[in-house]
Amino acid sequence: MKILLTGVNHKTAPVELREQLAIAPDRLSDATRALLEFPGVHEAMILSTCNRVELLACHEASSPDLLGFLRSYLGIDPTSLRPHAYEYRETDAVQHLFRVAASLDSMVVGEPQILGQVKESYTAARSVGAVQTHLEKLLQSTFTVAKKVRNETQIGSSSVSIASVAVDLAKKIFGSLEGKRVLLVGAGKMSELAARHLLQQGADSLLVTNRTHDRAVRLANNFQAQAVRFDDLYTTADQADIIITSTGSQEYIFRREHGQQFLHKRRNRPMFFIDIAVPRDIDPEMNRVDGVFLYDIDDLQSVSASHLDERTREAQRAEAIIAEEVLRFQRKAQALNVTPMIVNLQNTVEELRQAELRRAQARLQSLTPEQQAAVEAVTRGLMNKFLHMPMQALKAAALEADTVMLEVMREVFHLPAAQELTQEQARMQTQKQAPEQTQEQSTPRPVAETQTADAPAEPVTAGEQKGRHS
Amino acid sequence: MYLLWLRVAAVLYGLASVTALPAVLGDRPRWQRICLPVTIAGWIFHFVAFVEMLVAAHRLMPVGMHQVQSTLSLLIVTAFLLIWRRYRTISFGVFALPLAFLLILVPAIGPDKYTFSSQMVRNGWIAAHVTLLLAAYAALIFSLLSSLFYLIQERRLKDKQSPGFLEWMPPLDTMDQIAKTTLIFGFHCMTGGLLIGSFIAQEHMGAAYFLDPKVLLSFVMWVLYLVILFVRRSTGLRGRKAVYLSSAVFVIILCVWAANHFSSVHRFTTP
Repeated sequence: MKILLTGVNHKTAPVELREQLAIAPDRLSDATRALLEFPGVHEAMILSTCNRVELLACHEASSPDLLGFLRSYLGIDPTSLRPHAYEYRETDAVQHLFRVAASLDSMVVGEPQILGQVKESYTAARSVGAVQTHLEKLLQSTFTVAKKVRNETQIGSSSVSIASVAVDLAKKIFGSLEGKRVLLVGAGKMSELAARHLLQQGADSLLVTNRTHDRAVRLANNFQAQAVRFDDLYTTADQADIIITSTGSQEYIFRREHGQQFLHKRRNRPMFFIDIAVPRDIDPEMNRVDGVFLYDIDDLQSVSASHLDERTREAQRAEAIIAEEVLRFQRKAQALNVTPMIVNLQNTVEELRQAELRRAQARLQSLTPEQQAAVEAVTRGLMNKFLHMPMQALKAAALEADTVMLEVMREVFHLPAAQELTQEQARMQTQKQAPEQTQEQSTPRPVAETQTADAPAEPVTAGEQKGRHS
Repeated sequence: MYLLWLRVAAVLYGLASVTALPAVLGDRPRWQRICLPVTIAGWIFHFVAFVEMLVAAHRLMPVGMHQVQSTLSLLIVTAFLLIWRRYRTISFGVFALPLAFLLILVPAIGPDKYTFSSQMVRNGWIAAHVTLLLAAYAALIFSLLSSLFYLIQERRLKDKQSPGFLEWMPPLDTMDQIAKTTLIFGFHCMTGGLLIGSFIAQEHMGAAYFLDPKVLLSFVMWVLYLVILFVRRSTGLRGRKAVYLSSAVFVIILCVWAANHFSSVHRFTTP
């Protein structure tokens, strides 16, 4: 069984195309069932998120035309899709899947949602019977690898967006945000986002103020918050634990003496000021007041940048883990590929049977054709009955990854080693497939380059080479 | 037999101190999963050793410097575990566990050469006096540590240093709560300990006992303690000033401890 993965992601396709390809969660099971019924597909899974749509399939000798599936299922012209699509086979497909689940291929490297999305896809595929032996093993390994990367590296431990950096800093000051009050001074997209994040993380209530009171009221209604008149700002501010400012004011709204007054009224309980405005709304001297913590937009961006650097360093460690795990998976898969062993066992015993029949040919010549046919049937039946138990044992050992048992069986029946078999099988397959599949390779490449072999009926579009990291 | 359990506890505290470094400084969950069970195992062995020692000696209180050190070590680990249970932070382990290890190390080597020979060691009130004061010392150590952590974290946040640096430190609010709680707990223990000690001294030695330098310093410490509590409560004092005050009390504690050698009436060790 071979593995093929085709898809598009945020690096290769524009959002207009990705939104056409996106499959809603409630349609995922149906789509996976349709993919399973597609010619050549034995096992399948579809991963559809806002940043990627990928089709994963297990197939026999000839590759299914997965882009053709998208054409038939979603009605999308493959010629518009092909320049943006990538395709991975065998080891490269395994590596890509591991990288995706470990969030190394995500837009924000290290974000945790992707593993949950892969699990949802797996659940949907399993519910329609599209995940069996091969994909089951691959996906279980994928989940294990993703967990290992998360446990052994710090890839997802720090925030990278401005809003989440602000939340993290607030937590470093206040611990839990429960019961904390946020004051939003002015209205700006980023300050609204930061306030939303703080509320989601447990902040208790929100006060909103703006020079134009109506705007403050509108914004307060959006958040189910309380609007405060701008004139009351200095008498209300000490009630807030976190103050986010983003006004268009050309002068400082809060100065050092305001901070001192607020702290005095609060009996030194700390305050966190987030100044997102440019020009700044808060005098940097405010940070010198004991108990006041001031971060402006540059400070937040600088924290975010250091977190990104940290993630990049951790991503390198994660890549090393994945490379090691891909090798491990490959070795395991090779050891467990018992089909060639079974075929070899059957051939050996069949040769023995034929040899015995030839030896007894002189004595069997007197038999009628019916009697000869009966002898043939009896010997074949006996052979199959004798082989039944060892073959079952081989399959069970493969399913349970029992390499010791496989080795014992190989020794007992004098079978060639798995590696020798794989090489021999590969040679035979190359000879058999040479005329029609010379271009089908296991190296990753854009679908456009391989289409001649996979779907000769479609016109070939020259797509640019898209590496894994492009 | 108690010495064997004490040595096992010392080894476990040593291990816990080593694992606390990657668990806290490197924020490695795997090390955290090792550090805590090892500490708890050490605490159990230590507790068994403590009880066995008292039962074998037919008395209720630790006598001699070694046993007092061992008891203080037990109380520090108890405080560390209670803080972990309440605030889910093991950051204090970086300092508390090595301190507990160092305190238990000498008692684990062997028993005291000199012991307190007075029959009063079998008096339950003396046991309460010693235990309460040792608990107050342990609480004050944690209060000082939390105040120091608060100061470092405050500086770190104000200076906007690189995020990886001292990332393991607990939030400011958590440290403030720990500092306050341990300070109040320590004050109650110290008040109880001093009151009991004063009543016993009055009964057995009269007013002369209160002119002893160690006893006088103990009362100075109590007054200073009361002042800190009052200032902290009334002004919500945090940060640098709170650290200065806690440090001052801690220095006095060390003086009270050291004054044992200059005391004529209050000595742990008699030849």
